[in-house]
Amino acid sequence: MSYDFAIAAVVTLAGALLAISQANILHAVFGLAISLVGVAGIFFTLNSPFVAIMEVLIYVGGIAVTMIFAVMLSSVTNPQEKENVGRRLMAAVAAGTFFVGGALVLHHAEFADGKELLNSEHSLQAVGVNLLNRYNLAFETLSVVLLLAIVGAIVIVRKEPAMPADAEEEAA
Amino acid sequence: MTLEGTLLLALMLFCFGIYAVLARRNLIGILIGVELMLNAANINFLAFSHFIPTDPAVAKIIVLVVIGLAAAEAAIALAIILKLYRQRSSIDVDAMTLLEGTGAEEASDE
Repeated sequence: MSYDFAIAAVVTLAGALLAISQANILHAVFGLAISLVGVAGIFFTLNSPFVAIMEVLIYVGGIAVTMIFAVMLSSVTNPQEKENVGRRLMAAVAAGTFFVGGALVLHHAEFADGKELLNSEHSLQAVGVNLLNRYNLAFETLSVVLLLAIVGAIVIVRKEPAMPADAEEEAA
Repeated sequence: MTLEGTLLLALMLFCFGIYAVLARRNLIGILIGVELMLNAANINFLAFSHFIPTDPAVAKIIVLVVIGLAAAEAAIALAIILKLYRQRSSIDVDAMTLLEGTGAEEASDE
């Protein structure tokens, strides 16, 4: 019996609870960061240390920090978040129904084999080789998507459309 | 640690994500819910590749692609949030009724 998975699971669920229950959105982002660290721990116990490191680097180091920037730039205090009991109840019922349904499916499913596989020591090399050979299309598509996201984000948040050069000189 | 336990954990994380998406009025809160759901899916991919004999590289490639897509999605979503905040001084989804047409509610809202 190993406790590392249990610890990672507890961290994940506690962080997620914090992320969905806090009225202050900045605390919720911190909860998300804690939950993502727990998810990285689960990846580690699932014999994928490289993916775990990438999870921490990209999610905690990138996405969570970007979210914190967005919270600070939009400086939201949401006093109405708490009074909306009907919506919270509806959301809880929907999520609970989904959970019960999923748990029933999980209970009745028959999986092929419950044994852990421990034969993937060299899988990082396999990941790199496969990513550049067999799954090259996904790799290249992802790079184009990321480039488009960067350019698109800049275009979206730009304050006003750029003036033509002569109009700019006239304004100056 | 069993396959069922890992899948159950991912299911709980996914349900937390559903709750956040449905219950939050803040756009950043909704984005947090989406990220939780993506992570639940990633846990499922790695759990199946760990417990069921398949090519272990495939699940890792899928998870890395999903992480990259999540980064792109977060960048675009946060850009939209900043733009909305500049224009409307609010990121409350209940206030985003511009596409509903010319209702009386919007007139009183402005």
